[in-house]
Amino acid sequence: MTTKPNFPVTAGSIAVPYGHVIGNEKWRGSELAQKLQGKVRLIFEDGLGLVDFHLSNRTCILYISEADLVAGDEFKRRLVKFRNTSSLGGVVIVEKTQISDQYFLAVQKLVVLELGMVLLPVANQGEASQLITQLVREHSKDPNSNPFLPKPCSQLAEASVFQTVQQIPGVGKTKALLLLQQFGSIHRLCNASVKELELVVGQTGLVYQYMAACDV
Amino acid sequence: THVPPAVPGSGKERLQAPHQLCALRAGDYVVSNRLAVERTLRSELLGSADRRELAQRIQRLRGVFERVCVIVEQDRSKPGELSRPVQRPQHYDGTLSALVQAGVRLLFSSCQEETAALLRDLALVEQRKSAAIRVPTEPQGHRRDLLNFYLSIPRLSYPAALNMCHHFDSLRNMANSSPQAIAAAAQVSPQKAEEIHRYLHHGFDAQLLPKSLCATGTGPAGARS
Repeated sequence: MTTKPNFPVTAGSIAVPYGHVIGNEKWRGSELAQKLQGKVRLIFEDGLGLVDFHLSNRTCILYISEADLVAGDEFKRRLVKFRNTSSLGGVVIVEKTQISDQYFLAVQKLVVLELGMVLLPVANQGEASQLITQLVREHSKDPNSNPFLPKPCSQLAEASVFQTVQQIPGVGKTKALLLLQQFGSIHRLCNASVKELELVVGQTGLVYQYMAACDV
Repeated sequence: THVPPAVPGSGKERLQAPHQLCALRAGDYVVSNRLAVERTLRSELLGSADRRELAQRIQRLRGVFERVCVIVEQDRSKPGELSRPVQRPQHYDGTLSALVQAGVRLLFSSCQEETAALLRDLALVEQRKSAAIRVPTEPQGHRRDLLNFYLSIPRLSYPAALNMCHHFDSLRNMANSSPQAIAAAAQVSPQKAEEIHRYLHHGFDAQLLPKSLCATGTGPAGARS
């Protein structure tokens, strides 16, 4: 699975038809390819260079096998080369086995912390096929159905503003409501004079001090 | 004053790390001005109830922090339990895929000690990218009083509130700042600064206040709900 030294560095974007995976020719006949068949539509292509599988025109997989990990630093050069030459999102799948476990933390540090890529461990090619299948499925889903994406804030600002004003010492619900009805916004409340504040909530030296005080 | 990369914890775990701990409203750890880390056990990615709960936590964090990282920690095996090969559940890969697709960073750890080391590494990387928290995590005097005010701003992170405490002399000064000035002081994105600015200028309409909140009558002044 290693790249020949003179191999052209192709890691560019290619068009991947919907629901398909484009695999590097070198994977033809492998256990991973066999297990992917029937779950995703797998097409082999020559000359993918550093990339093992293209999942979309933005995402691709680089596969680091147990043998790669044991063999030494060649895979690191390959990852760095990919990172320096490609604008694609790279997902690095690493075989984490009893033998390669000792290298895992260092690889994770390189891939995630240094190179800023995604790393996902698997135990073998069988697990990798299942993971790739799920990644492809996730790609074809409606992005809005992703449960981990932030949803627009639904709470009305009124409730929050009301809470914020109650953080001022000596201001409870009643005074907070009076102050907000009079001044309309936190910005205007913060710019109120002592006199204006007194007209609303009586003796309020504390409130004024809280908003205007500098203790530098 | 320079503070080492702060890793406040929720108090539910105390990892061996030379970092400060303080109570957080969201997230297990905060390692920089922009990055929050959620620690989860591998088993929590398997069941759908746990997954739903994790999704809620991540969603909340995503609204507050620019970046979110999840550390997936291997569950501790019970003593005497043989590690037999088990079929990797498809659900697990589905959750990982959704996390990757949502742009959440993932790290894998085999035990609590490794998790602590990963947190330290993350803090160092963030420090190198000048995103480390550089203000005292325990503000004193008047600034301490202002912290709660800032923390009550919706979807504002704890480090951003600390930065605002430190950089604005007074609330008035803060309220009169432009979005650009807020971004620089709080160390947040321009979008987040706009959101804060909008909040400060939001025209309050008492009609829209949920009735359950303002039902007071004789409530003592200063009571907080």
